[in-house]
Amino acid sequence: MIPASEIEYLIDFDSEKCTQCHGCEIACKAWRELSYGVQYRRVLNLWQGEYPSVKCASLSLACLHCVEPACAAACPENAISKREKDGLVVVDETVCNGCGICADACAFEVPQFGKNGIMQKCDLCRDQQLAQAAPPCVDTCPGKALSVIEVSQSEKMVHEKKIAQLLRSG
Amino acid sequence: MVAVNKNQTKSERYFNKALIVFQFELLYITSIQYLTSEVDMDFKQALQYARINGEECIPTVCGMCGPGGPGGGCGIYAFVKDGRFKKVAGMDESPVNNGAICAKGHAAPQWVYSPDRLTHPLKRIGKKGEGKFEKISWNAAIDHIAEVLTQQKKTFGAESLAILSPARRSYSEYLHRFLTAHGSPNYGHSGICFMQREFAYCYTVGDFPRPDYGQSDLIIYWGRQPIYSGPVAKPARAFIAAKQRNAKMIAIKPSVEPDVGLADIWVPVRPGTDAALALAMLNVVIAENLIDHVFVDKWCYGFKRLQAHVRAYDPKWAENISGVPASQIVEVARLYATTPRAAIDLGNGVEHAPSASDAIRAIAILMAITGHLDRQGGNIFAMPPKAAPKDILLKERYTPDLINKLVGPEFPVAFQPFLEEPTSAYYRILESVLTGKPYPVRTVIAPGTQASVSTRGTKNVLAALRKLDFFVVVDVARTADIPYADIVIPVATSYEVDHPFQMVPGWLMATNRVIEPVGPFKSIFEFFLDLGNAMGYGDEFWNGDIGEAMDDQLEPLGMNMTELRQQPSGVVYPSGPPVYEKFEAVFNRRSASLNQGPYLPQGKVALYNTTFEKAGFSPLPEWREPPESLNATPELTEKYPLILSDYHTSKNFSASWQRNVPHLREIQPDPVLHIHPQAAAVRRIVENDWVIVKSPHGWMKVKAEIYPGIRPDTVMILHGWWQGCQELGVEDFPLADGGTNVNNMYSVDPEKAYDPLVTAMTSQTLVQVEKWEAS
Repeated sequence: MIPASEIEYLIDFDSEKCTQCHGCEIACKAWRELSYGVQYRRVLNLWQGEYPSVKCASLSLACLHCVEPACAAACPENAISKREKDGLVVVDETVCNGCGICADACAFEVPQFGKNGIMQKCDLCRDQQLAQAAPPCVDTCPGKALSVIEVSQSEKMVHEKKIAQLLRSG
Repeated sequence: MVAVNKNQTKSERYFNKALIVFQFELLYITSIQYLTSEVDMDFKQALQYARINGEECIPTVCGMCGPGGPGGGCGIYAFVKDGRFKKVAGMDESPVNNGAICAKGHAAPQWVYSPDRLTHPLKRIGKKGEGKFEKISWNAAIDHIAEVLTQQKKTFGAESLAILSPARRSYSEYLHRFLTAHGSPNYGHSGICFMQREFAYCYTVGDFPRPDYGQSDLIIYWGRQPIYSGPVAKPARAFIAAKQRNAKMIAIKPSVEPDVGLADIWVPVRPGTDAALALAMLNVVIAENLIDHVFVDKWCYGFKRLQAHVRAYDPKWAENISGVPASQIVEVARLYATTPRAAIDLGNGVEHAPSASDAIRAIAILMAITGHLDRQGGNIFAMPPKAAPKDILLKERYTPDLINKLVGPEFPVAFQPFLEEPTSAYYRILESVLTGKPYPVRTVIAPGTQASVSTRGTKNVLAALRKLDFFVVVDVARTADIPYADIVIPVATSYEVDHPFQMVPGWLMATNRVIEPVGPFKSIFEFFLDLGNAMGYGDEFWNGDIGEAMDDQLEPLGMNMTELRQQPSGVVYPSGPPVYEKFEAVFNRRSASLNQGPYLPQGKVALYNTTFEKAGFSPLPEWREPPESLNATPELTEKYPLILSDYHTSKNFSASWQRNVPHLREIQPDPVLHIHPQAAAVRRIVENDWVIVKSPHGWMKVKAEIYPGIRPDTVMILHGWWQGCQELGVEDFPLADGGTNVNNMYSVDPEKAYDPLVTAMTSQTLVQVEKWEAS
């Protein structure tokens, strides 16, 4: 049973302000010192339609901290939980055995496994000491396509659907 | 002066004053709050972040796409922990990047600490191309180069030295200064970037007409990549802003990139056929009388002759060449001509074809006769800067004698020097080594550029590098040309030195040292100062004193480097209110050529160009086919049915640099050929297959990316692939046949491969693509 959280945070994304510069992706890697191959945030190009009416849309994607996280539900070790105070989906590194079942369960392909094999992912930089600046991915975006917002559970679920649709469109 | 306290960190010593403010602020901030607003990092926050996390913060200028270069000069806060450069944040106060910074900027520490960094000056001990060297000292290297250059000057004349141009950099002027002091005009400009537009624009409308994006209701991005050329710079932000206010956007290019994804209309033009498209648009607006007669009567020369000339270029004709449906050509021409606030942002894509100058002239004429020049929301002429640092080009030494020594003039000698300095075409310098015509260049210095992956004709380039008497490579990291070098000079990145000052429109900023150099070397500025000194040109090179060089140039701005450094986020020069319709002044500008004749002899837009006519070129823009194309060489299409061209910019690499940086390589790990799903399917090619791409001139082996957003008759690849990435276990690719270097694929036929006026080199050919079957 996943405890309900009253407050939900998310890094919102506006596709019409994204130019796919990948600044957010690398800001995250650099500031969080991620090892090779690990990415908490990734920028995707999504094709829509066919030549000559072909278009592409952009998506900068990281953990959405879902209201009902599929990763937590799937984890056989109960290593993943949703934090009550702020809705963050967190991994207990002492419990996770790196089996990767969460990665299969997540529709957004979020879970990452670095050198130690333990699941890791975006934590919204909530524990980083950023001197009141926004998380590096948000801070660095030239189009201000990303923004940290506080939402209700129902708003968060709408956002989850929107991102899932965008992903499916490509 | 503030007294220096030894317990303070370096950044604190720089910014004592600001620290007092910061300490005051700190009293109020007892805990880190989680903010939901959009806050970019300013100096106070950067210092605060550094203090909290036990790091140092050094404000400086990003060095990843070449400060002073096209997208360069972004302000950053660099963070250092335990003496190691860790990361950067965009500087909120910088008017260049407004707090944002791109992927390349963030990857800077990996570039600085790359195993591919050059660490010691090297001298060749093996055969050319073998790559065997011995370590020598910085001073021994300088002395050796000076000795060779002095000897060659005596024997062959000063013009036997050429310096190959990197993309525009803050050190570019030093290269010119060295050449002029030495007595050689042979600055090898690429012939494929910016100057081609500048030239055709200046001799057609008197100046470079810049899009007034902020005010436009319609923006045509033509052969332009507004994003990758500088993702956090003004054009990219203007692009987003235009989208947000629902301005209509049209993208003219052969494939869909993110900018096309946000545009309203995509015009999928065949590579290298922009001139045909532009001529047809002229045909439409004149035939349909969509022109500004008042402007044409008062400010244009030769309308009647233009009118008669473009009658032949109807949209059906252009459809056959460009592949753009005639109906779409008519639609776009009408939309542009009838939208009062409409701008064209013409990009580097039009500068890679034998008809480049014609395309640019035709587009400039289109702006003029439809009344879009220097009007709100159209294409405007920039006001000259109010303040500028001292000009360090030795212009008083430009003489007919010097100009006549150009080994392969980028622009005809009658037009030299164009803009600021005399230039030879980059490729033609190397060609002279092989042909001896008009004379062979003996020494090439390659600072921040790699000939074998930057210019066309790879096999000839490699032969020239092998044959050169003396070849000097000056760079930060390993380049493709190094095995052929006689001397290799490693230089510091801009993170390891405290110069130069960076001046971009609206902003002046000091480069501040982030870390000590990671090896026994100096900056590229100091290299030319030291070499100048050793050559006996000390008077022209501030006697080797870099501090004096900086202060001398800053003097007209009323400050020195120490004073500038005390401004942690530099000095912002606000721009004045725009002044439109400066026709009288702009159409009477004098050129920089030796006779200083006007760009426009009639004081009017040159629809009919008497200057070009007099010099033996067409007075009206024409259509010229690429060396190989579906129309020019139908006999080749059975064997080579697809058009090949290349991308000049990418989202994560600067030209042919930085493939060795893991963060950037992970974004784009493989050299991929964009191929339409239909073109792939008939060849049984699927995503990530290795494929062979064959042209009449060479072949490469690359990976296929099935790309729905490209013309089905065209395939494209990013240029500049060769380098591996040690950290990710990726090896180098071969430079010529069988490698990934697109330059190897094109014609360099002197009769066909160049624009005759501006020496733009072709980047179009015909190819076949086949699945690679490993045997």
